[in-house]
Amino acid sequence: MRTVTRSFLRHLYRRRSLSLLQLLGIACGVAAVVGMALSARSALSSFSQAVEFLRGKSTHTLERLAGPMDESILRQLAADPAVVSFAPVLERRLKLGNGDLVRLLGIDPFLDRAIRPELSRVPFERRTSRSFEDSIAFLTDERAVLIEAGLARTLGLATGGSVPTLKGPLRVVGSFANPSGEPLILMDIAHTQKLLGLGGRIDHVDLILDDEGGFASRWREGYRIQSKRQRQDTFGAMVGAFRLNLEALSLMALFVSVFLIYNTAMFAVVSRRRDAGILRSLGASRAEVAGAFLTEIALFGTLGGLAGSLFGFLLSRALTEVIGGTISSLYFFLRTAPMPWSWWVPAAGVAVGLGASLLGSLYPLVELTRTDPAVTLRGRSGSRGNRRRAWIVALAGAGCLIASILLLAFFSKRVYAAFIGVFGFLFGLSLLTGVIMVLAEPLLGRVLASFGGLPGRIAAGNIIRNLGRTGVAVAAFMMALSLSIGLGSMIGSFRQSLIWWMGTQLRGDLYVSNASDMEVPEGFYEEIRGIPGVGGVDTYRKAQVTYRGRAIHVAAIQAGVLQRFARFGWVEGGDGHWEAVKRGDVIVSESFARSFGASPGGVVTLEGAKGPVDLRIEGVFYDYSTEHGLVMMDRATYIALYGDRTINSIAVFIDPSEPRKRRILDDIRARAAARGLPVSTREQFHRNILEVFDSTFAVTRSMRIMAIVIAFFGITGALLTLFIERRRDFGILRALGFSTGQVARMTLLEALGMGIVSFALSSGVGTVLAVLLIRVINLRSFNWTVFYFPDWQPYAVTAATALAASLGAALYPIWKVHRTYPQMQIREE
Amino acid sequence: MNTPVVRVVDLWKEYRENGQAVTQALRGANLEVAPGEVVALFGKSGSGKTTLLNLLAGLDRPTRGTVEINGRCLEQLGEAGRTELRRSRLGFIFQFFNLLPTLTAYENVFLALELAGRIQPQAARDALERVGLKGKEHRYPHELSGGEQQRVAVARAIVKEPSLILADEPTGNLDTATGDQILQLITERCRQGGTSLLMVTHTPLACRYADRILKMVDGVVTEDEKCR
Repeated sequence: MRTVTRSFLRHLYRRRSLSLLQLLGIACGVAAVVGMALSARSALSSFSQAVEFLRGKSTHTLERLAGPMDESILRQLAADPAVVSFAPVLERRLKLGNGDLVRLLGIDPFLDRAIRPELSRVPFERRTSRSFEDSIAFLTDERAVLIEAGLARTLGLATGGSVPTLKGPLRVVGSFANPSGEPLILMDIAHTQKLLGLGGRIDHVDLILDDEGGFASRWREGYRIQSKRQRQDTFGAMVGAFRLNLEALSLMALFVSVFLIYNTAMFAVVSRRRDAGILRSLGASRAEVAGAFLTEIALFGTLGGLAGSLFGFLLSRALTEVIGGTISSLYFFLRTAPMPWSWWVPAAGVAVGLGASLLGSLYPLVELTRTDPAVTLRGRSGSRGNRRRAWIVALAGAGCLIASILLLAFFSKRVYAAFIGVFGFLFGLSLLTGVIMVLAEPLLGRVLASFGGLPGRIAAGNIIRNLGRTGVAVAAFMMALSLSIGLGSMIGSFRQSLIWWMGTQLRGDLYVSNASDMEVPEGFYEEIRGIPGVGGVDTYRKAQVTYRGRAIHVAAIQAGVLQRFARFGWVEGGDGHWEAVKRGDVIVSESFARSFGASPGGVVTLEGAKGPVDLRIEGVFYDYSTEHGLVMMDRATYIALYGDRTINSIAVFIDPSEPRKRRILDDIRARAAARGLPVSTREQFHRNILEVFDSTFAVTRSMRIMAIVIAFFGITGALLTLFIERRRDFGILRALGFSTGQVARMTLLEALGMGIVSFALSSGVGTVLAVLLIRVINLRSFNWTVFYFPDWQPYAVTAATALAASLGAALYPIWKVHRTYPQMQIREE
Repeated sequence: MNTPVVRVVDLWKEYRENGQAVTQALRGANLEVAPGEVVALFGKSGSGKTTLLNLLAGLDRPTRGTVEINGRCLEQLGEAGRTELRRSRLGFIFQFFNLLPTLTAYENVFLALELAGRIQPQAARDALERVGLKGKEHRYPHELSGGEQQRVAVARAIVKEPSLILADEPTGNLDTATGDQILQLITERCRQGGTSLLMVTHTPLACRYADRILKMVDGVVTEDEKCR
């Protein structure tokens, strides 16, 4: 069958415009999957490596239940028989002069050698005089730091150079290689304490223990001891929902891509029906014909997969940074390193391209081999078979919908089941496309006729008569547009919910410091509270603790101040809850209540500095600050529980009747600046939060764009295929007196018709998708309620996209019409 | 007596839609074609001529009745057997030529040999020479005139020396002069090779070349003494 294969390959060359489009379509589909998967993998792997690297060889970590601890415990640790090695750590983010954030690690260079030998090896084990001087400088110079090699390269720094930071310049005395690739600055712990104003305090101690049981029995009360495994699990759980959402986005990319590749493969098969008929009449068997088509499809899949993996790899470079930024904003400060090139990347791309192509061509191929050659030799003809098939496919779609609804109704508490349900629902709806097009034919005919008269009516008929081709293209386009509307509406609703939430909780006139690892001196708080005209100052402290083996957050606030100035959104009840909070009860976030089945009147038992403490739950409030659960209590209750007096930030409320409001705020700004504390107004604070929110959804937005690009290629391919197949029809139209302009208008209206139908369907499907994402996926993934805010914007953007894509898709066929129409003949070849 | 190359007995073909017969293309057709015989089959559009050819080639399946080619019942041959028969014993010539547009004239002819398991490039070149296309072997179908394309189709049919050639209005897409040339070519080559030819046609020219004239009326084949 070498001649047949040759004929197929030449076919690809002869119709190179279509081949190129099909190839680009597959490449884009593969790029979306590979790019998304690679970047998610890079970011999560950077996350694990950073965690792993920072923990070094330690077997355990000791820390206070909440807040930093006094370094005096080191003496006790040194005397503990179970401790083989220990190393105190003070860990904070540091803003560089260029605005970048890096991790600053304060360590004891001598004690740290057993835990992180690779960090101490460079400056302390070389026996050159210069190294010795630097080693001494690291210990004696209060501004001396070691800098990660990659960061040094980025900043163009060498030993002896200076790193500008918001805490003043730091002197580089050496650099070290960090296998995790994370930019890191290392400083002697005593100097770090001084730099940060945390004299005598440490965050945690990394330990190597040889008797965990014995050690735990001595250090149980007031401390948290976590093994390396527990620590990894805690971090893993921290990003669990995020990881799941990344996986879901990758799956969405795969879903749309497979649809497009299916579209492409189907066109490849359908447009070669006549060739198949000729081959069969010459004596080629079904298997040989199928084999020849498979060769062509496999070639497409392989080449598209290779090109797509390259695009995907480049895409992942951009997406990795976006995902890393999100992890940093929400979970764990991280600088992600994109995955290096590996031959696994094209291998994966080819696997996706080939797999999806073969999957996509399976049904059309089976159909082709089952069709009588006599029928295929008759050529294209109008048939009622398309309509009957559309009903059969719709029945399958209805079955898929029912199964998905049952899954969502009975298993929606399992987030994976919910995802499968949503995908099944979408797939089921896509299968209804053909039948909806059949039912909408009269309306479509009228609409297109109103735009273009006779060419419009013919265009509508062409769309429906070629349902086998147009149906799949419209379904793929509809799916991409639905994703755009669904994701857009979900993001918009979430943003509106967040704005509402900020309006309820974050009502301060001025915020001093707002980063969870920053500290506001207690004295400063007292000083501000004493300023005449200040109505109230809320202190905010947020600490991560463990509850029932899972990481949650505890927040300490001034209940009296919030009672007066804030207007919390309560899941149940109202502002009357504050009285109980002042007395020592707690309020919990919706995510906490849903995660742990907690409700008002119940009890939450937290491990305090002096053992477990039962706290009564007074109320449940809406909260979007953490999906892991937040227990909020009055500062007095918190201090009694943990003995931690840290304040992360303060919110200043000026008396509403105070006429000197502006002057007081300026005064507070000046006082904060004198202490090096950042200040932001309520509007700035809200804007910062929205910026973080927007960056969090940047990757989702990228997916929206990819979906549209993929759909564009899909619909262009569909149009071009129809155009090529119908050249004989064009010849007939020419014979009947159609002008070039009329044929061009007909082609344009066909594209427009497909765009209109796709958009109309996607408006419904996208809205359903938005509701499912909000009510099912978000709720199950993050345990918080996002309120649905209907918004016209995603629909308008999608309508404009549909219009632009469908008209853009028609350009090339129209150009071909103008170029070749006069020569078209009423003949087959 | 020699076994007829084609033997058709009480052949029916119904086309169904939604399980109900909507068209009866053949209504008990009977036919025999002897080895080396050239038969022309006339009939109006829709009388069932093309359906009969498709059934003879095993490209379609009858509703009832039997078709024997070289004494072998097509129904009993099965799909693989019918495919094998088309490869080795049957040639097909179509009204619209049905050449693979991405293969040259030579490659289109060679394809038939390749499918029959005969890798004989020279035979393909000889076949093209016999139909008068020497020097045009490497042209693609779109670079050839309609008559030349049909000559390629004739070469493709005769190259494997089949026992039967089925021709479906081979001159339907050609002008009279070219059509006459093609008919002469087909019948000459068939007679030279001892190949039977069943030719569905509308052209009275075919009378000149046919040994026997048949007529198809409403799905039934009858002998026609006088040529139209």
